[in-house]
Formats: sequence, structure tokens, C-alpha cells
Amino acid sequence: MISAPEAQAAPAVSLSGVTFHYPGSTAGVFDITLDIMPGELIVCIGPSGCGKTTLLRLIAGFLKPDAGSIRLGSDDVSALPPRARECGVVFQAYALFPHMRVWENVAYPLRVRNVAPAERRQRAEEMLKMVGLTGLHDRLPAQLSGGQQQRVALARALVFKPRAMLLDEPLSALDAATRVVMRDEIRRIQRGQNIATMLITHDQDEALSLADRIVVLRDGRLAQVAPPQEIYDRPKNAFVAGFVGRANLLDGTVLDGETVDTPIGHLATRPHGMARGNAIRLLVRPERIEIAADAAGENIVAAQVLRDRFFGSSRRIEVAAGTGRLEIETAARDRVANVRVPRDAIQFLRSN
Amino acid sequence: MFLSWITGVYLVYLAIPIALLIMGSFGELWLNTLLPTGVTGRWYVEVATDPSFRRAFVASLSVATITCAASVAIGLPLGYAVFRAQSRRVRAFARVLYQLPVALPPLVLAFGFILVFSSDTLPWLGSIWLLAAGHIVLGLPYFLQTVVSDMQRLGLRTLEDAAESLGSNGLQRFMHIVVPALRHSILAGLIIVAALSIGEFQFSNLVAGFLNRTYPVVLLQAFYGATGFACAATVILLSLAFLAAVSGSLVAGGATRMKVNVA
Repeated sequence: MISAPEAQAAPAVSLSGVTFHYPGSTAGVFDITLDIMPGELIVCIGPSGCGKTTLLRLIAGFLKPDAGSIRLGSDDVSALPPRARECGVVFQAYALFPHMRVWENVAYPLRVRNVAPAERRQRAEEMLKMVGLTGLHDRLPAQLSGGQQQRVALARALVFKPRAMLLDEPLSALDAATRVVMRDEIRRIQRGQNIATMLITHDQDEALSLADRIVVLRDGRLAQVAPPQEIYDRPKNAFVAGFVGRANLLDGTVLDGETVDTPIGHLATRPHGMARGNAIRLLVRPERIEIAADAAGENIVAAQVLRDRFFGSSRRIEVAAGTGRLEIETAARDRVANVRVPRDAIQFLRSN
Repeated sequence: MFLSWITGVYLVYLAIPIALLIMGSFGELWLNTLLPTGVTGRWYVEVATDPSFRRAFVASLSVATITCAASVAIGLPLGYAVFRAQSRRVRAFARVLYQLPVALPPLVLAFGFILVFSSDTLPWLGSIWLLAAGHIVLGLPYFLQTVVSDMQRLGLRTLEDAAESLGSNGLQRFMHIVVPALRHSILAGLIIVAALSIGEFQFSNLVAGFLNRTYPVVLLQAFYGATGFACAATVILLSLAFLAAVSGSLVAGGATRMKVNVA
């Protein structure tokens, strides 16, 4: 498991009980307490309207919290305007200044800080080189590709040595191939600058592959904060399990200490410590279910294929079993008549 | 085929009056004939040496210049304020309000001006400034429309958010981001305002004093005289408007190209 670097240092960004309510609606973020360590990359994920962009705008200073405090380093910045917060923000559509050349865009933060013109240009060019963009300094943003614009936006957000970097769905405007390249580039650049970063996305692959820690937001509240593997392997509840990765969720009734009655049949589980008759919710990841050759054995159920889609490297099959359904992901090409749910693939969830 | 026919016929229809005007301005005599007879340049010389036309030419340029300057000075902050307004209702209301003069006949505006400014307390009827004041009312809706829609197209709000997060204050954002990013639409808006001011007749005819008549107002009188003289005077007005449009678009285009080519 990857742990946050320098976990014992003081946090670079610290939210404590931050609450913000959009006037005249029930939307907002509520009681958010979260630390971002120096050099740490936090990926914030959640369905649209869950408050992830609100959270970013609160840290950047575009919104002021109704309650709670926001600290950058040791300073309470809750009341400061964005320009005094020194956060490098990368916007969804990059927000490059259309009338400025590439290097002028990158040098802009230095211009408003009264850095001498020659030094501005030199530092802008160094930063452009660092983000992997050379030879295009005198272009206008409109003459660059999406990936190149993204690099300019990153350079501009980092050139003034900000206290944190905030990225609002930075990859959503790119085509699929560029997205994968830029995903790795963002990680490389962020590592190189060793800067506390929060990246917002609705893409779970992005979250899982980029993050030191993932923050799952639901209805403006923290659903779970944990490293990617932990989020995937030990989701706190059904929402997190369903939102990050694919999930089979089975509502069952306890029969004994190691058996649960579920819609797909009786399943043997690890000891769950609950008394007979209690309701329990089980999680089985699709890739953990196996195609069984035999019809008899532990946790083998007869399955009837409803849908079978082939993706090259994998195959996603939906089957009916008992009175329930299962989703299976497998590389096997076999015909499906029976499936096995291994005992150790079954996890217990709280049902909210 | 059918469509290109319609387009062709319409273009001819548009061009005929202009072609006839140009022909007439160089014609010696044009009385009761389909086309003028004889060729001369003397009508242009006469217009150019006519004191009332010279005065009117200067008056028109002055009024247009004042109108343009005031449109930027008033229109830019106003458009910006409307664009930045928090409430959707305020934005919609402001838009309706500033578009109203489009539906207002210049005649009505002129009557209002005459009522107010012929009094002893505000005896400014006939001054160049008052003419410009009226032209501002007539031109501002077009300027605002052009500039505000460009603000929306550019996503000016996000650009400003970006600038703010990068450390710039309100004045810096306005001077570094808002004005330069909008330079094309500001220019386009000014061309419309200038053309409108130079060609405006209804309002100017009623409000202009005898000493400060604008070019179109004086032009009307020319039609009581020789046809060639009237044509030449009109062609000058046309050229002026054309020049404004062409130079405006050249400046706008040139600004873009220059930025790109400097290496």
C-alpha cells in the first residue's frame, strides 16, 4: 500500500469543519475535515453535484466557507481572496488568456508580482521546459492542441511556486489517447515539484491510477478518504463500492456464522460475527467471480447468461442466478453455465 | 442554381443605386435621361470647396469621434457590470433596458432633446456635444450587444478567475485581461457606432443647430441643386462609411496577425 509521503510533517492544506451552503438550495459541502500533506496528490471523486468543484473553489478562495477554517501551511486563509492564497489553479477548459502568447501566459503570475521582464521570460521558459513544451513559446493558445494547452496551464499554475495546486477535471477536455499521456505527465510534474495537490475528476480510473489518497464525496459529505487500494478493496459502504470500480451488491440474511442467504443462493463466507436472522450486505467484485467447470461445490451457482460483451482483454458477462443477478469480468473464453463465488472474495458492507 | 440566381439578382439590386450614384457624380448633365451625359470631375471640386460641406464634414467627424470615445468609456464598464451581475434577473433586465433604444425612433429621441435642451436652464440645443449625446444613445445598444456577447463567448469570467488565482487584483484584471481579450469586439462595436453616427439623419436633422449641421443633414439640401453635385456629395459619405469599415477590420485582423508573427 502506498502511504502519503512525509506523513509526519505538517499538512500543506488543512480543512477543518468546512461548510458551505449555496444560498437558496440544499447543495453545498458540509463539515469537511481533510488534510493534504506536502507533496501529496489527493484525487477528489464523486457524482456530478456532489460538491467536488465547490470544495476546490473553497480552497482556491472563490467561495468563502459559512463555517470551519481553511489553512495553507500555518496560515488561516479562510477570509483571504483568491489572489492572496497563492494556489495554482488549473481550470477545466484551461482558461488560457487568448490574447497572450504561451510564454506571456506562463509569465503572467510573475508580471503581477512585479518580477523584472527579463527574469519573467526566463522563468516562464524554464517552467515550459519542465512541463515538456519547447519551441512553442511564441504561439497563441488557439494554435496549440489540447494536450499542449494543458501543459501551458500547468506551467502557469506552478511558475510562482504556489502553496498548493488545484486541478478541476483537467483531463476531461482531452481525447482518450492524450488523456492517458497527460495523466502520467501530471503525476510526473506534481512529483517533480513535490507540491500538495488536489485533483478533481469523475473518472474512477483516473482516481485509482493517480492518487496518493482518494476522497469520495457524496452529497457534499466525505464518504471515504483512503489510498486507492484501500478504497477499492475495503470500501466503507455500498456507495463507495459502487462508485469506485464495479460491484455486485447482494442483500442477504444471516443463516449462521459463516453462511448467508442471498438472492443468488446460500453463500459460504468468512466469519462475519453476526447473529442468525440479521440483514447483511455483501460485496463481490466482478473480476473475483470465476467460471466453474462443475455444477457442484462450495458457492457454485447455476447461471444463465443475460449479456456477454467482449472487450478484447476482458469479457463482461451479466448472468441471472437464483432470483438475483451477477456481473462477471473474466479473461476466460469458456461457456458459462455455472459460476463460483470464492469465499474470500466476499466482503461485508454497511448498507448505507 | 435557383439560389445563386436569387443571390445574383439581389446583389445587382444592391449595387445599382451605388453604381448610378458614382456614375452621376462624374456626369456632366443628368436631366430626364436614363444615364448622365458627359464626363467631369468638377462636382467633387465643388463639394470640396463648398464651405457648408466642409463644415459639415468636420462636424460629422467630430461627432463620430466623441460618440466612439464615449461609447468605450460608458459602454465597456456598463457591459462589464451587466456581464458580472450576480443575479440572472438583473442581467436579463439590464439587457432589455439597454436594447430599448433600438426600438426607439430617433424622431422621438429628438423631440425629447428639443423639449429639454431648448429651455433657458439647459440651452445647449445645436451644440456638437448634444449631437454626440444623442448618437451615444442610438449607438450604445449595438456596442453593448457586440461586447457583451464576446464576453460570454470568451468565457471572460473563468479567465478572470484564473487571473485572480494567479495573483492579479481588480484593476490589473481589467487592464491585462478584460480589455485586451475584448479588443476585437470593441473595435467591431466602434465601427458600427461610427457608421451609425456618420450616417444618422433623423435625429441630427432636428437637433443640429445651423452652425453644426452634420454631413447627412447638409446632404439633403444638395438634392435641391444639381444632380451631379448631390451624387458627388453622397459618394463622399459612402466612401467615408466604407473606409471606416475597411480600416476597422484591417486593424482588427492586423492585431491578430502581428501577435502571431513576432518570433
